[in-house]
Amino acid sequence: MTVKLRELFKKKRGQDIVHRWAGNPLVDIGYLDFKCSDIHNAGVVFFDNQVLLLVTIESLSGQRNIHIGRPAGKEYYKVDSEPFLSPSSDITYFEHEEHGVQDARVTYLDGVYYIMYDALGKYGTRLGLGRTTDFKDIERIGMISEPNVKGGALFPTKIKGQYARLERPAEGSSIWISYSNDLIYWGDSELVISPRPGFWDLGRIGTSAPPIEIDQGWLVFYYGVKTGASIPVCRLGTVILDKDEPTKIIGRANIPVLSPRKDYERIGDVPNIVFSTGAILEANGKLKLYYGAANSCICIGTTTVDEIVTNCFESEQEY
Amino acid sequence: MLKTGRDILHRWEGNPAITIEKVPFRANTVFNGSPIVTDNGIDLLMQVQGQQGHSFFVMARSKDGFRFKIDDAPVMLPAKDGPFAIYEKHGIEDPHITILEDTCYVVYTAVGDCGRRMALAKTEDRVNYERIAMISEPGNTNGILFPKKIGGRYGRLDSPAGNGHGGIWVSYSPDLIKWGDSRPVLSPRRGGWDEYRVGASACPIETEQGWLLIYHGTKMTPSGEVHRNGVALLENENPSKVIKRGESPILSPKTEYERIGDVINVCNICGAVVSKNGKMKIYYGAADSSICIGTCHIDNILEKGF
Repeated sequence: MTVKLRELFKKKRGQDIVHRWAGNPLVDIGYLDFKCSDIHNAGVVFFDNQVLLLVTIESLSGQRNIHIGRPAGKEYYKVDSEPFLSPSSDITYFEHEEHGVQDARVTYLDGVYYIMYDALGKYGTRLGLGRTTDFKDIERIGMISEPNVKGGALFPTKIKGQYARLERPAEGSSIWISYSNDLIYWGDSELVISPRPGFWDLGRIGTSAPPIEIDQGWLVFYYGVKTGASIPVCRLGTVILDKDEPTKIIGRANIPVLSPRKDYERIGDVPNIVFSTGAILEANGKLKLYYGAANSCICIGTTTVDEIVTNCFESEQEY
Repeated sequence: MLKTGRDILHRWEGNPAITIEKVPFRANTVFNGSPIVTDNGIDLLMQVQGQQGHSFFVMARSKDGFRFKIDDAPVMLPAKDGPFAIYEKHGIEDPHITILEDTCYVVYTAVGDCGRRMALAKTEDRVNYERIAMISEPGNTNGILFPKKIGGRYGRLDSPAGNGHGGIWVSYSPDLIKWGDSRPVLSPRRGGWDEYRVGASACPIETEQGWLLIYHGTKMTPSGEVHRNGVALLENENPSKVIKRGESPILSPKTEYERIGDVINVCNICGAVVSKNGKMKIYYGAADSSICIGTCHIDNILEKGF
C-alpha cells in the first residue's frame, strides 16, 4: 500500500494535465490598437501556414463581435480592428444577432472552413453558421438552431453520411448532437453527456473546441461549471465519443484537464474561467489549446493526445 | 344591453364533457384532448395523467362530438425501450393531431430528464400509433403541424423557450424529420393578458384572410399563471407574418371547473373542428382536470375576435 501511494504522488496530481505556456497571456486588451471592453474565447484554425485566432471582443458599448488575430512576429498576435463577423443588418438575421455574435468555432470540412457561432438576439441565443475560404469574407448559411441553444461545434467529417454538430441547449444544461443533410434543416437530436451531480461539472456543461478525430474516437473538450459556492468556477474537461455513434461514450475523465489557478484566469470581467473554443492537433500528437481566461485574455495550453486519452480512461481509478 | 362579460366562445351546457370519473381505469386526471373527424363522428386523443404523475394518451370516441365514450385502455404509453425511451421517461403530453396529405399525424411533448421536447407519430386506424422521430431540441413544446405544405415545405408551430419563456415560432422541414429556418411568430405582449408566455393551441385553420391561429397565453399573478386563449391571423404563404392579433382573449377561466382543479385557472384549447356551415366545436382542457367544449361560428371569431 505504501509503495502504491508513493507511485501515485509521483504523478504530480496537483498539476493540470494541460500545461500553461510560459508566455501567457498570448493576447489581452493591452495588445490591441483599438479600444474595447474585453477579449475572450478564440476559435483557431491553421490556415495559409499560420494559426489564426477568431476572438470574441466585447465593444465598449457591450455588443460582441468576432475579430481575427494574425501572427505578427514571434509570439505576438495582431488583432484586426475591423470585425470579421458582426451582427448582420439583413432583416432575416438582425433580430437574432442584434446584441452580438460570439464564440466562433472553426471546422474544416470538404474544402470549406465553417464557422459556427452564438448569435445573441432579442429572443435569446441561437446558433449561426457561416463559411469562408479566405478568412477575409464570411458568407452566412443560416440561423440553424431553435432559440436557447449555444456552444455549437461542427464535426470535421460527416457521420452516418450526414453533417453533425454538438450543441448545448439551455434546457437540461447538457451536450447534445444533431444531424443534417444540408446544414439548413437539423434533427435526430440526441443527448450525449450531462452534468454529473457531485462533480466539478455538476452545474452545466458545453462543448469547447470542435471534436478532434483520434484513434480511439472523437476527442471532445468541454467546459464544466461548478456552481453553489461563491461564484461559479468554469473548468475544462474531456470525453471520448465513439467515431460512428457519438452518443456512445468511450471514456470520460472524472477530473478536469485545466482549472483556473493563475491570476489571469482568476481575475477579470468574469472571474475563475478557462474556456476554450479551439485546439490545434499537431502531427506528433501534440495538442495546442487556445483558451479564454476570466473573459479578459487569450492563453495557450499544451498537452498530448496520449496524456488526455490516458486521463479519460484512468482518472476514474486514480481518484 | 351589451353583454360585455361574455366570452366569444359559448360553453356547452354539458361541461365538463370528460372528467376522470368517466375514465374506465384508475388515473389522476384527464385533460388536453385533440379532436379528429372520423366517418362515425369525432374522436379525441386525450392526455391522461396516471397517479404516479406520468401522462399517456387515451382515445375517446363520439358520434356527435359532445358525448364521448372512453377506450378501456391507453393507445399510446411512454416508450419503455428503444431510442425514444430516455426522452419519454417521465411521460408523454399534449397531443396535437393534424391531417396532412391524408395521414393522421400526432405531434406530442416527450418529458425526460433533460426537459420537454417534441416528437412525431402517425396512426392509420387511430388505435395503433407509430413513432416517427423526435423533432425538436429540448426546451421546445406546443408543437402543431400545419395541415398542408407551405411553399413546398412542411411547417410547424412550436414554442422554444427563448429567453426563458416561450413565444410562438414557425419551423420548416423538407421531410418532417429535419427542421430549420425557425422564425418568431408571436411573442408575449408586455402588459397584456398574454404577457408571460404564449403557445399554439389548435391546428391552424385556413381561411381566405389567412391562417386562423387559436393560441393560449398566460399572465403571471402572485398565485401563478392564468391561462387564457386568444386568436391571431397569419399570412397563408408566410405564417411568420402576423396580419392581426386579437386584443382580448376568446376564452378565459370563469366557471368552477375552469378555476378549481390540479392547476387552477386554466382554459387550454387543444383543438377545433369546423363544420361545413362554419360552426366550430372547440375542445379545451380545464384546470388540468377535465375536458370541456366551447362552440361558436368561425365568422364570429373572425369578426369579433380582433
